[in-house]
Amino acid sequence: MAIMPRESRLDLRGIFLSGECSLTLQTAAVQRHSEASSGSGPKKEVQLHLPEAVRVVEAFIGEYASGKSELAINRALELRQIKESVTLVDLDIVEPFYTLRPLRELLQQKGLTVVAWGKEDAFGLGETGSLVNPAARWVMRRTGDIIMDVGYGVHGAAALNLVEGAMESPELKVWTVINVGRPMTSTVADIVDYVRSLKRVDGLINNTHLGDETTIEFIQQGLKIITESAQILGVPLVYTAVDEKLEKHVLASALGRSEVKFIHRYMPKARW
Amino acid sequence: MEKPVTGTKKVFMTGNETVAWAALAADVDIMFGYPITPQNEIMHYWTRLAPKYGRQFLQTEDEISAGFTVCGAIIAGKKAFTATAGPGNTLMQEPFSMAEAMRLPTVAIIQQRGGPSSGTVIYSQQEVTLTTYGGNGEGHRIVYSTASNQELYDYTIKAFNSAWKYRFPTFVLGDGYQAKMREPLEIYDPATKNIQMIKPAPMVGLPGQIGVDREPQHLCNIYSLEEELYEVVLRVQAEYEKICPELVEYECRDCEDAEILIVSHGVVSSSAEDAVIALRAQGIKAGSFRPITLRPFPDQKLREILASGVKKMLVVESAYGQLVRLLRQEMYGMTVPMETLMMPGVGIIDADIMSKVKSLI
Repeated sequence: MAIMPRESRLDLRGIFLSGECSLTLQTAAVQRHSEASSGSGPKKEVQLHLPEAVRVVEAFIGEYASGKSELAINRALELRQIKESVTLVDLDIVEPFYTLRPLRELLQQKGLTVVAWGKEDAFGLGETGSLVNPAARWVMRRTGDIIMDVGYGVHGAAALNLVEGAMESPELKVWTVINVGRPMTSTVADIVDYVRSLKRVDGLINNTHLGDETTIEFIQQGLKIITESAQILGVPLVYTAVDEKLEKHVLASALGRSEVKFIHRYMPKARW
Repeated sequence: MEKPVTGTKKVFMTGNETVAWAALAADVDIMFGYPITPQNEIMHYWTRLAPKYGRQFLQTEDEISAGFTVCGAIIAGKKAFTATAGPGNTLMQEPFSMAEAMRLPTVAIIQQRGGPSSGTVIYSQQEVTLTTYGGNGEGHRIVYSTASNQELYDYTIKAFNSAWKYRFPTFVLGDGYQAKMREPLEIYDPATKNIQMIKPAPMVGLPGQIGVDREPQHLCNIYSLEEELYEVVLRVQAEYEKICPELVEYECRDCEDAEILIVSHGVVSSSAEDAVIALRAQGIKAGSFRPITLRPFPDQKLREILASGVKKMLVVESAYGQLVRLLRQEMYGMTVPMETLMMPGVGIIDADIMSKVKSLI
């Protein structure tokens, strides 16, 4: 196995498992690294050992406005770089027409299969709450990777009960997204209480930010609080998500030595 | 009891959540409400937070009751509020009218939604008429139209002080977008900004013997004689007019030499400001005027601006003429031609405004 630059290791976290099949790929992060290290020279190919058959099934849960949709979108697109079939599922049952709907077309153009209500499905439904998209209910029957954006309305992983076969899936990972900038999850005690109230959590994601006013110090503060919370809870801190605009600053700081994923922000285009 | 907000703190929140925190910071005792989109998270967050800080909540059987229970709590000396939208705002006009009549400092957060409808939950700016003049009275109300989560925090706090100082029903007029918008903002304990929160006081059960120690407390909502009502309304109108100069608030951008003046309120005004910046960069002398108080309306300032060389006024709103009607009424006699960009139910972006402006010059 070739030596991988750190960015690609980070970008592939979660699918870079211990299987034995090998796969040749070149991720955007690797490309960035190659360009930076070898100027305009030939791009390196990186050999990865990837269990081809391993299917990724992940659910993003968390407090209202914690960044679930944003991280689910980014994760699905990241997987799509190396996987043929990736389905992104909108499981918001309270406001099913507002989360991923405005982005559906864009994400489909980027190669994702998006299971979300469309404008044409919304006619006349008004304030109908608790509406489960039949396509979402049976989504586990699809082949390929499944990324679930568990919208608000149901506490924690409970919405996964609405997806046939999800909770029984051996591949399922439930990530809880936490932004320390949100007052309800700003302290270790609050985070521990909150996560304990959820049905199932396999790991925490530090998504601490203040929108356009995010600073490296603020993310680091979040990392410290969430790391401590994760230790108390006995679950791993999976990674820290950071707006790609801050990449240069992150890599130049101590934060660059931790597990970081750079994300593109799509949700500002969604309004709700 | 622990303070909900100490000092200042940078946070990332939705508009609805912001309102709940602001009400806590403003020392509100109790919220009454009935669920309705898009204000639900105000109640959700209030109910999650209130027990921790010794505050209370009552979900009533409908919005009529929510409005009247706010009135009752206030009479009993509690700082109380409600939040609603659309048809909930329609139903609450009866209690709001009683509050106008009895000079009760009610506070209501209105997260506007589309209409006409009982079940349209989406964004709109179609509750301007209802919130400013919806009652069976003269619109003796204070209405702040906010444009960001920071303003939702600031003006929710301010609304309680304005209500208790002037004793007129006070409204914070947001909308479906602001309710759900996620933005960074600074939350603070009002004391750190030298804002003294006015303490509520009961209006009934006062100490002392009536006729001996004090005058009787008349909290009248019913007038049997026409002359009596006439006197009361004229007196309240005079009091309202007197405080208008202290209350009016507005925001201007590049108004000084503007030839085309964009007038908008609430969340639309941020698009208007972006449009002005872009139009100025293209050499077009545009300006933006945003009334923050829709009641009382900052007509005097707008008249001054219009008189300083404005050739055309463009009124922009996510409604079909509700701000336009308010302007026609408040700006009666103005000679600057009024053009409109009315897009009920949909968000308006800078590009929409820019192309309209260009079509006018």
